[in-house]
Amino acid sequence: MTIHLLLGLVLILFVFAAVRALAPSRALLAGTVLGIGALALLAVNYQALLSPEFWAGLIGFVAILSALMVVIHPNPMVSILFLIVNLFCIALFYLILRAEFLAVLQIIIYAGAIMVLFVFVVMLLNLKAEEGLRLGGGPQRWGALLLAVVFVLLMFHALHDRSDQPYVEPGAFESGFGSARALGGLLFSRYLVAFEAASLLLIAGMVGAVVVAKRKVG
Amino acid sequence: MRVEFFLLIGALLFTIGCAGVLIRRNAIVILMCIELMLNAVNLTFVAFALENQSMTGHIFVFFVMTVAAAEAAIGLAIVIALFRRRRTTDVEDASLMRW
Repeated sequence: MTIHLLLGLVLILFVFAAVRALAPSRALLAGTVLGIGALALLAVNYQALLSPEFWAGLIGFVAILSALMVVIHPNPMVSILFLIVNLFCIALFYLILRAEFLAVLQIIIYAGAIMVLFVFVVMLLNLKAEEGLRLGGGPQRWGALLLAVVFVLLMFHALHDRSDQPYVEPGAFESGFGSARALGGLLFSRYLVAFEAASLLLIAGMVGAVVVAKRKVG
Repeated sequence: MRVEFFLLIGALLFTIGCAGVLIRRNAIVILMCIELMLNAVNLTFVAFALENQSMTGHIFVFFVMTVAAAEAAIGLAIVIALFRRRRTTDVEDASLMRW
C-alpha cells in the first residue's frame, strides 16, 4: 500500500521531468495535471500518510535524488544547495532512529557551519559551471564496472542475510537513549581521552587552515 | 520499519558520493562528495546503534562530525591556495605529483 503510493509519486515526478525535458512549452499544463493526479493519489490513500514507512520512504527518495543532483549538476553553488537538502534529510533520519541530539548537531554543524564555509569559498572564488564530467575511458572502465557489480552483489548479500534480525520497537528503550545528557555522560567518562584528542585536532585544523590559506607575506 | 532500510539508504548515498569523487573535476565538489560519504557512514552508525541499543555508535558519529569539520576547513584552505597559484580548482591541473 505504502510502497505503491511512493512508487506512484515517483512515477509522476519522472513523467513531469520527461515532459519538461522533451516539450518545455507543455511543462505548465503537465505540471498542473500531474499535481492534481498526485493530490488525488494521496487523497485515495490517505491512511498511508499516517504511517512512518511512507514518510521514511519519501525522505529516502529526496535524500537519494539530492545526492544525485550534487554529483550531476555542473554548477558548484547548486551542488551545495542540494547537499544542504541531503543533510536535512539525514537529520530527519536521525530523528526517526531516536538520535535527537545528533539530529540537532547535524543541522547546527553540517548545515550551519560546514556548508556556510563551502558557500563562502565558492562565492569567494567566483566559480563557474565546469565543462563536463570526467567519465574516463580506456580499460579502467571495465574494471570499474566489474568492481561495481561485485559491490552491488556484496551489499545485496549482506543486507539479505541479516533480514531475519528482529526489529527493535522504539518503546523498548530506556528513556534517555540518544539524548544530550546520555551522550555527554559517555563523552566525559568512557571517551574522555578521545574527546580531548578531538579538541587538539580542531586546534590543529584551525591553525593549519589559516597557515595554508593565508597570502604569502614578502 | 526495519533497520535494513536505513542501511540500504546509507549504501546508496555512499556509492553516489564515491562516484562523485571519481567523476567530478572540481575540487570543491569532490570535497562535498566526501561529506556525502561521511554522512552515509554516519547514518549506518546510527542505524546500528538503534539495533544494538548501544550509544557507542552515536559517539562515533560525534567524532566523525569533528573530523569532517576539520577536514572541510583544511581542504577548502588548500583549494584557496591552489586557486591563488593556478587560477583554477580543477584537480586535473594540479598534476605535479602525477606519474
